[in-house]
Amino acid sequence: MEGHQRNLDLYDRFNARVLGVSRDDVTTLKYWAKSLDLTFPLLSNITAFLGAYFDIQPEGQPIFGRRTVIIDKKGVIRYVRDGSPDFKDILLFLKKLNQEGGKP
Amino acid sequence: MKKKWFMVIWVVWVLAWLSGCATVETSKKVPYKLSPQGTVIWQDEFEFMPPPPDWKLLIVEEEGDINFGFTRADPGQFPSTTSFAYDEEPFGSSTKLEEREREFFKRFLFNAILQFQVLEKRKTQVLGGEGLEVVAEGKDLVKGEKVRAKVVFGKRGERIVGFYITQWRPINGTYELSAFEIFDKFVHSFKFLKKSFYETL
Repeated sequence: MEGHQRNLDLYDRFNARVLGVSRDDVTTLKYWAKSLDLTFPLLSNITAFLGAYFDIQPEGQPIFGRRTVIIDKKGVIRYVRDGSPDFKDILLFLKKLNQEGGKP
Repeated sequence: MKKKWFMVIWVVWVLAWLSGCATVETSKKVPYKLSPQGTVIWQDEFEFMPPPPDWKLLIVEEEGDINFGFTRADPGQFPSTTSFAYDEEPFGSSTKLEEREREFFKRFLFNAILQFQVLEKRKTQVLGGEGLEVVAEGKDLVKGEKVRAKVVFGKRGERIVGFYITQWRPINGTYELSAFEIFDKFVHSFKFLKKSFYETL
């Protein structure tokens, strides 16, 4: 998440916005955002429907898997990667998407 | 005759094994080369003065960024060790030196759960621009360990990069400050040979 925070100005340059989604409750996320000095929105989804929607809800576990998803302005999912975010790959993809005019 | 065949097979096996080792060794690429001036050129991107040969190279690959440094086991009881490193993405996110220092020390060595005390903080010149140098000491009275750390923040383009050294000692041990001089030479010799990924984006 700190990596995304470091890149906010670059995301802005490519007309992208970042959102974090977690199954933690709002109070926990507020504390976490404060401790990491995060300024972008974190969404609390304790009912986990977003996990089911993005297929990152491991069966029988109270957490989401780690997945990076880029959605363009038409609502089309254009990029999906699992595991720790590859920030350079994300930035290159956003740059390309922005040049195409398919602003995220 | 049987013994002779056994010897031949044994020699062939040893030769095959050795040639296998040689193949592995030659195909293994090291990410650096030495310049005629005695500096290290790292991945054609960084140049710096390396520490003496008793320091071992450390490479940590995480989230696509390679950070590297050097470590040395010091004489004395556990945990007598000194390590230093260059970090392209130090903890925190601010592009302001003072703010980044505050963010960094919230997480630096957080697994060790130490009580840190800043001993010295001053502005410095590093990487051809303004930097910030912080000397701190952390103590764990329960484990009977302490660490002296020096962190130098500098800028690469708009982003902040960091250098840090940690020297661990038993709580009643003595620090060896000459290691910090080696670290200083490393830091102040450090140069970027090309623009970073972020600068060229």
